[in-house]
This record gives sequence, C-alpha cells and structure tokens, in this order.
Amino acid sequence: MTTRADADQRRVRRLLRWYPPSWRARYGDEFAELLLSEFGEQPRSWRRTGNVAGCGLLARLTCAGLTSHELPPAERVRAGLATFGCALAVFLAFSLAMLAQLATGWQWASPGSASVAAGTLVMAVAAASLVLIGLAAIIPVGWYAAAAAFRRRDARLAWPAAAASASAAMLAAGASHFQNAWPGSGGIGAEHRLVPGGVAAFGWASTLSVSSYWAHPALLQRFPLPELSWMALSPAVATALVTASVMVLRRLALPYRVLRYQALLAAGASAVAITFLAGAASWVLGDGPRQAGLFRPGLVDGAELLIMALALAVALRAAVGIWHARPALPRPDQAARQGTAGRPGAAGASSR
Amino acid sequence: MKCRLPIHRRPIYHGLVPDPHADDAPAHGGSLVTFGRYAGPATLILSSLADGAKHGYALTKDIERFAGVRLAPGTLYEALSRLEGQGLIEALATEDRRRPYQLTAAGAQALRVHLADQRHVAEVGLRRLSRHWDMP
Repeated sequence: MTTRADADQRRVRRLLRWYPPSWRARYGDEFAELLLSEFGEQPRSWRRTGNVAGCGLLARLTCAGLTSHELPPAERVRAGLATFGCALAVFLAFSLAMLAQLATGWQWASPGSASVAAGTLVMAVAAASLVLIGLAAIIPVGWYAAAAAFRRRDARLAWPAAAASASAAMLAAGASHFQNAWPGSGGIGAEHRLVPGGVAAFGWASTLSVSSYWAHPALLQRFPLPELSWMALSPAVATALVTASVMVLRRLALPYRVLRYQALLAAGASAVAITFLAGAASWVLGDGPRQAGLFRPGLVDGAELLIMALALAVALRAAVGIWHARPALPRPDQAARQGTAGRPGAAGASSR
Repeated sequence: MKCRLPIHRRPIYHGLVPDPHADDAPAHGGSLVTFGRYAGPATLILSSLADGAKHGYALTKDIERFAGVRLAPGTLYEALSRLEGQGLIEALATEDRRRPYQLTAAGAQALRVHLADQRHVAEVGLRRLSRHWDMP
C-alpha cells in the first residue's frame, strides 16, 4: 500500500518531466517543493497540470534556442545552431528526395514546361549551395571537435563525434551501394542531364525512405529484402547522424569568432532554403500536375512540400534567434579582457 | 548591482512601449516591458520581494494576499528564471530544498521605474474618466 506522500512524489516527478534536464538541474528541487505545497492545498487541478506542461514545453523551446529569453548569448547561439541544424537536416532530406526525382526524370526527357524547368533549375542550384554551406559549417566544427576529442581526450565529445562519423560513413556507403539499383537511376545513356547521373542516383538512394510505397504494402513486399532493409535503416542512420552532431555542437566550446561565422552561414542557408522552397512550390503547385512521368507531382510531393515548409519555419525561428544573439557575443578583445580568450567555457566543453 | 546578462533583444511587445513623443508620455520606459506577457507576474514577484527574500510558495501566498492573484507554479518559475537571467533578482542558499530569492539593486530600480510608469498611466486614465465621463 502506498502512502499519499509517495503518490505526490510520483506526480511531482511526472510533472517535472515536462522540463528539460538543464532546467530540472537548476530549479527541480525547489519547484518540486512548491508543487508538494500546492498539492497540500489543492490535491487535483487540471489547470495547474496544464500550466506546468505548457511552461515545461516553453522551457524546452528556450533550451533549443527557439525563444528569445534568458540564455547567455553564446549558449543561445549554440542552442539555436543545434535546432537550426536539426530543422535544416529534415528540410534537406525531403528536398534532396524531391530534387533526385526531378533530376532522374530530366535524364530521359526535359520538362514540358518552362516554369517547371526553371523551378527545377532553381532547386538544383539551391541544393548545391546548401551542400556547400553545410560543408563550410561542418569543417570548422569537425576540426575543433577532433582537437578536443584527441588532444584533451574528452570522452563527452569523443563518443558523439565517433558516432557522427560512423553514421555519415554508413549513410554514404549505403547510398553508394544502392544508387544504381533502380531503373532510370545512374543516368547511363541519358540524353539530358541537369546534374551528373551519379549524383542524382546517390541523392535518390540516400533518401529512398521518402517514398509513397510505404502506403502500398503489397507493392512494397515485391522489393528485394536488402533494398527494403535500406529503406528502413537509412532514416535511423540519418537520425543518429543528426543526433550525434547536435550533441557535439552542444558540448563543444567553439570560439566566439566561429559562432559568429556559423551565425552568418545560418542566415545564408536560410535564404537559400527559402529559394529552394519557392522552386519546389512552383513545381508542385504550378505547372507540375500537367506534366508526365517523374515531373508529375503526387500526393507524396505535396506532403514533402508541407514538411519542408514546417521544417523551414522552425529553422527560420532559430536563425532569427541566432542573428539577434550574435551582436552580444564578445569580440576577441573583449573576450581577452574577460580572460576567456575568445572561448566560451574554459575547460573545452560547455556546461550542457 | 549591474545586470549579469546584456539585454540585447528587442522587446517582444515593442508596440506596448510608450511613445516618448505622445501627450502624457511617461518620463521613463519601464524595462519590464521586455518581459512581454510575463510583465504582470514579474511585477508581482518584484513587488513581493521588495520587503524581503521569499521562496516560491511564500511568494505565491504573499502575491495572493496583496494582489488577489494566485500565480500558477509554472508561470511563477518561468517569471523567476527570466528575472534571475536579467539580474533583477538573485537566488540565496537553499533552505530545506526551498530556495529563497531576493531583489537586486537593478531589480529594485526596474520595479520603481515600472511602477512609476503604471502610476502615470493610472493617473492619466482617472483624469480622463473624470473629465469626459463625469466620474470622480
């Protein structure tokens, strides 16, 4: 038989789960005491539960850099970059799937509409720009992560860095293995090309899980087992890659100048992603439905467009937060005066 | 005491910041307007702490007593964390898992400016009611 005090403690623990770990570490004990006192006066209250849940979610958004409150500028930029990276990864996965479909179709016939051709061209240029911006962002982070992991033997960084590297290698190897497994991919003997056939096939294979076949189990069963396994495994690998990368970013004490540089890249990537979405929308909502073959958008393309718009909205919110926090980052001379040598956190890793 | 964090962002509800060129403009803009919808709870908390340090439950009871408003626990701690982040209050040592908070000098100044602005708004409203609606 449990006592009422035990039951209250369990309720408090359940309510505290709405808040992020960092918030619980700072306010958890005192907030639990307040809740226990409140339970003494009013044992049950849906309004109180809703209030705690709402404020807990708000605290989680704050920790993700999606609100404009109270985090120190460096922490806010770092949190915003992590959220921006997650949202942009989702955007990229769906945008590459969409572009791979169009690029593969273009290998066999040019689009029948100038607006679809222009839209596809815009998407291809924007996707290439996003990949370049991504590389420009990843290289310095990778450099500092490797330095922290190897020189300082920081296990908190080494494990996620190793997991990110392994996931990226697995994703690249899997996509390379499967890229020529479908008719029409590879571009061998193709007469028209928007992008090199191998690139289109790689994009297709790496985003194969973004497919309307999931809604048709009978058709799906005809797929060879290795391909089905890749369709199921690749999103898990991509999720592991993004999760491990975010852990690296949150734990790594990047110099302020690198944070400032990343903030600029985030702003540039936002503008490019908006351009991509405009090109995609002009295809799906414009002349696309009157096209044939792979140029004809289906329901899955409409769903992709919606998911991309939502992901971009989250990314833009994070980018705005990063941009507003950027001027408050100390300049190198200010950081030197504060004795931080341009680095947020003295021990190499941040507190989170 | 200075704010520990730079206040670098634009107020959320910047449209609520008084127009300095308007008639009846207050002398100062209260910094609590940057708290947006938490400006109300923040004012209540700072007012409660003006007579001494209090922990969460004591704050709730005191505010209920003097303002007739019961702050929900989530709202109370959301406002407390923002006030602490802006250096307007500071946490004291924990007492039996309860942590008291006290007003800082910056918090006292922000509260004074904010209440003066609110008093100004109240005076203008009452004066206009008296003039145009024949209410004393």
